[in-house]
Amino acid sequence: MSDTSRTHFQDELASLERMALGGLDMVSTSLERAVETVVNQDVELAGMVISDDDRIDGRYLEVHQGVLSLLARQAPVATDLRTVAAILHVIKHVERMGDQCVNMAKLVPLAGHEPPSDQRLLDNIRRMGAQARQQVVQSKQAFERRDVELAQDLVRQDDEIDKLNRDCFHLALEIGDDLDRREWAMHMMLVARCLERIGDNAVDIGEQTAFVVTGLFREFEDASHPELAPPTPAA
Amino acid sequence: MTEPRDPQRENAEREHPIPSLHTREPSEAAPGGEAAQHQPAREAIFQLAGVSVSYGDKPAVRDITFDIGNNEITALIGPSGCGKSTLIRCLNRMNDLIPSATVSGRLLYHGEDLYAKEVDAVEVRKRIGMVFQKPNPFPKSIYDNIAFGPRVLGMKGSMDDIVERALTRAAVWDEVKDRLKTNAFGMSGGQQQRLCIARCLAVEPDVILMDEPCSALDPISTGKIEDLMLELEKEYSIVIVTHNMQQAARVSDKTAFFTVELDADQKNRTGRVVEFDDTEKIFTNPGDARTEAYVTGKVG
Repeated sequence: MSDTSRTHFQDELASLERMALGGLDMVSTSLERAVETVVNQDVELAGMVISDDDRIDGRYLEVHQGVLSLLARQAPVATDLRTVAAILHVIKHVERMGDQCVNMAKLVPLAGHEPPSDQRLLDNIRRMGAQARQQVVQSKQAFERRDVELAQDLVRQDDEIDKLNRDCFHLALEIGDDLDRREWAMHMMLVARCLERIGDNAVDIGEQTAFVVTGLFREFEDASHPELAPPTPAA
Repeated sequence: MTEPRDPQRENAEREHPIPSLHTREPSEAAPGGEAAQHQPAREAIFQLAGVSVSYGDKPAVRDITFDIGNNEITALIGPSGCGKSTLIRCLNRMNDLIPSATVSGRLLYHGEDLYAKEVDAVEVRKRIGMVFQKPNPFPKSIYDNIAFGPRVLGMKGSMDDIVERALTRAAVWDEVKDRLKTNAFGMSGGQQQRLCIARCLAVEPDVILMDEPCSALDPISTGKIEDLMLELEKEYSIVIVTHNMQQAARVSDKTAFFTVELDADQKNRTGRVVEFDDTEKIFTNPGDARTEAYVTGKVG
């Protein structure tokens, strides 16, 4: 059977999906800048990350309104309904990831002009940033392609960022007794936490991809019951 | 936990127990024989197995098999010409009135063969009422519209009570109680349709068949009919044919999706059931790509 009707609705739905996934591109840019801000202690760039979050929030409101409009006017069902519901989840995660970038940027001025940084910790933060960014990009690709396997691979990716987060914790513990260095290390732990949460948001978007494709929603990983988690595909 | 249902006991406790459809003693081969081996695993008011309907030598619907549950609303959906109305008319033997119509397969009602020789078609249509697309009140007063069926059937009890009960159940009593003797044609379309439902209820059916009951009504009247269906579901089983996908999604518990198939020489169009499942499943995650395409409006 070929698609022969409701083309206007299908166009609207596709446009809404593009807008939501475009939000992930915005997050990707913001994330890259936020990490650069932290690593280089760039206060100017931090201000840009914070102000640019208005664009992400605006995208959230735009997609949210579009979802409401589609539900009210078009009453989507079946795969279309699941797609609309998933878009709403995706854009919420986009908004939260944008907020995490802002949280990171806001920590930069708190650390002072020339903080007593630790290169190993900064390298770790940079690696976490790259990993988080890769997960954001992969979550977008998986949703666009309706690729459940690629979506499930985000769990493996997330294990990487979790490991780097634990490494940050240990490096912070080893930072020494100097109060200024310890304060800076605490800020880096908060940055690492923001990046780890962005990874989790990307996994959640992957779960929405699986929901759209299969019609069944299940968490890839159940934090409260890790023993019930299905095996993840080999890398 | 709820106790398992006992249909026989429930029937005995009903205000109006479901009577036998027979006007004569059943033949040995009917309910006690083959049919008894096909008792439903769960309570089903209708059991359809391989039901086909033809008009002359042209098959209209073919090989329909599913159960219709008691005290449920079952929606029949599908494109025009797929045999929904043909099938719903089989459920109370309305097709008997069409000389060229033939029904084959097994169609059980409360476990009895609806098309057995000893079954009285008039009794069938009393137990299984029907409401049509266009409201069709008789050119009589509101009161007489309701009283007509009970009078013909010689129902006992106060006729005033019967009329009030039927109109109340159909959620139209408050709107007409002060003008029962006025002509039913003076009612609005939505009121006329609820009057027709009341007329159906007055003869104490246990199934109500509705063939696009809201297609001629405005949204307010449609909403009232839908609310009424959900109320009536507690006491009656309802089968509805509708072209309104959202109506099927809103009111029904189960949905059967029909489609049209062309035969090998591309001459005859025959209706088939593609999918029968919980309505929620049909409208959120249908199992068949054809159902998906239809409910999402990609094909009509």
